[in-house]
Amino acid sequence: MSRNRILIVDDEMEFANTLAERLQLRDFETIAISGGEEVIPLLQGGWLPDVVLLDLKMPGQDGLAILDLIKQHDQSIEVVMITGHGATASAIAGMQRGLFDYLMKPVDIGKLVDTISLALRKKRG
Amino acid sequence: MKKILALLSKLRNRLFPPMTDFLFFCSKNNSDLCVKARYYCLRRSLLVIMMLITFLPLGITTGLSFFQYRQLLQEETYSNARWSAANTKQTIEAFLEKLQAAILVVTDAYTFDELNSQEKIDKVFTELKREHKGLVDLSVISPDGVQRAYAGPYNLSGKDYNASPWYNTALTKRIYASEVFMGFRNIPHFVIAASKREPQAQGSWVLRASIDVDTLDRFLASANSELADDIFLVNKEWKLQSSSRYYGEINSDIVPRDTPKKAGITLADQHRGDTPVLRAVGYIKNTPWILVVEHQGYGQRKSWQLFRNKLLIIFTTCLLLSGILIVRVATLLARKIREAETTRETLLSQTEHTNKLASIGRLAAGVAHEINNPLAIINEKAGLMKDLLELSSEFKHQKKFLDQLDSLQNAVHRTRTITHRLLGFARRMEVNMEPVQINDVVTEVIGFLGKAAEHRNIRIETDLQLDLASIQSDRGQLQQIFLNIVNNAVDAIDHDGLIRISSRQLDASGALQVDIFDNGPGMPPEVLDKIFEPFFTTKFGQERQGTGLGLSITYGLVKKLGGRILVKSEVGKGTVFSIIFPGKSPVVEEAADESE
Repeated sequence: MSRNRILIVDDEMEFANTLAERLQLRDFETIAISGGEEVIPLLQGGWLPDVVLLDLKMPGQDGLAILDLIKQHDQSIEVVMITGHGATASAIAGMQRGLFDYLMKPVDIGKLVDTISLALRKKRG
Repeated sequence: MKKILALLSKLRNRLFPPMTDFLFFCSKNNSDLCVKARYYCLRRSLLVIMMLITFLPLGITTGLSFFQYRQLLQEETYSNARWSAANTKQTIEAFLEKLQAAILVVTDAYTFDELNSQEKIDKVFTELKREHKGLVDLSVISPDGVQRAYAGPYNLSGKDYNASPWYNTALTKRIYASEVFMGFRNIPHFVIAASKREPQAQGSWVLRASIDVDTLDRFLASANSELADDIFLVNKEWKLQSSSRYYGEINSDIVPRDTPKKAGITLADQHRGDTPVLRAVGYIKNTPWILVVEHQGYGQRKSWQLFRNKLLIIFTTCLLLSGILIVRVATLLARKIREAETTRETLLSQTEHTNKLASIGRLAAGVAHEINNPLAIINEKAGLMKDLLELSSEFKHQKKFLDQLDSLQNAVHRTRTITHRLLGFARRMEVNMEPVQINDVVTEVIGFLGKAAEHRNIRIETDLQLDLASIQSDRGQLQQIFLNIVNNAVDAIDHDGLIRISSRQLDASGALQVDIFDNGPGMPPEVLDKIFEPFFTTKFGQERQGTGLGLSITYGLVKKLGGRILVKSEVGKGTVFSIIFPGKSPVVEEAADESE
């Protein structure tokens, strides 16, 4: 059985890479990228993630715009927002646009894996 | 354009000067005055201004009324006096002229010899008396000055009139009216005498008619109007010729004297003793008399005194009422201005404070965000190290390394609590009021927490009134309120339970209530008393460690939006939070009230 694919989009590459490595240790296939402009080429390239871990505030396109792009490309990809900015309004806006969940940085790995598992369960119906 | 603007500004300052300009009874340097003294000055200034505004027109109106009415009354008094005197003068002149004409007719119609018969003179006297009621007697005086014939009540036959002034004057005139004198009869009277010289006679004979002063008095009395105070006749030496109310007996001297014009009536303001009077005087034609009519001065008239008293009462009453009103209004205005200034200062101070807090909030949010990112890196790096250590085979100090990494992650966790608290604080700083449909907010929050609830097998039911009116509120803060309470309900239930959210309109003002019920374990009274206190939490454990700020923040937010939050709970049955929002735009309270 193939491993579940997790895409991490965060301009803080130190964070993204470390988190990617930790998830790999938990048997996920991960790719970490630093911004929204890399998302679409990746998806179009055929690497479709099951869950995207997305930062909210990033240079260039923000998390909500990237969320829209992902959902436009494939509605079935579940997106979890991970942000250092605790804005309820953006969380609710994200939920209304198909966000699966919203977590605050720094996130507990156990809670993150639980959320990913829930997202995967939802994806599989 | 600049000139026009400067002109307009100048005009505005003239019309609406700054408040301090009214403090003209105070020190120029108002900053020297304490607040109480400043408002005392303001009140005094307002009092003076309002008194000037009120009393000046009142005084002017009263003064104008006083002088206008006095002038009218004076003119009326003059007019009445002139009219009354002219009327009386005309009446007396008509009476005398008629009598003089009758005497002349008799003189022309008869000779001395004819009238020197008792029978004839009696007949003529009777005829004349029929026409002229005041006639007392009639006599014929021969050219030698001796009375020859007499008809009347006195015994005056044979009296010699050569020494009488009237007789000597009568001889020089065709017809003559004398002054009042006593004569042989020793009764005040006057005569009308006509002289006639017959052809071949040596001198003129005289026909004399006597009239009592009583007759004159009757005439004067009948001519006297209600307005005249006294009416009498004087001779050219101002000796009294008729009865007078104030000047004594016949022949008394009248002081002061006025010289009338040759014709018509002359008016003069005089004093009778201490009493001011208006005197109208005029010569009685073909007599030695001057008619004097005295009127009370306008000041003595009842209508004037009544008017003056009324005016005084009205003026005093207006003055008193205005005074009381002005004192009250000035006090009220000064108080209102003081209150308005205090409110303005408070609002300014609040705005300044709110702005300061908002700035702090934005700064806090920025700081929290900036800290959260490196913190997340530290957390992940420590986590990765821990993962790798756990996966590697045992080595010396492995446990110590793991303990150190746990400490590091605990420190990260503590720092995260701080940054989350900072973000929570920042979220509450700014209020953006807009019409909000509360059901939409509830639905959004349920959508947000729905999954978490679903995973724990918690059912969320809603009973939302569909025609709920929108309220003026802050959408983001409402989301925060419901998020905190529903999140708490989810945590309280933990697994397998029910959350029921209902909304309903309370009254016509648009006030509404949202109830959030959970069938969790409920809270004992000692917990219930403290749930809104900052840092009070019942959530313990690795996954659900609470900051103790959720409900405290929620309470502050509800209060800030003008609402109320109530809670009822029973152990074993559950808890219900009721949030009541006002329909009208709530007054946003000072953000500092909700600071943690």
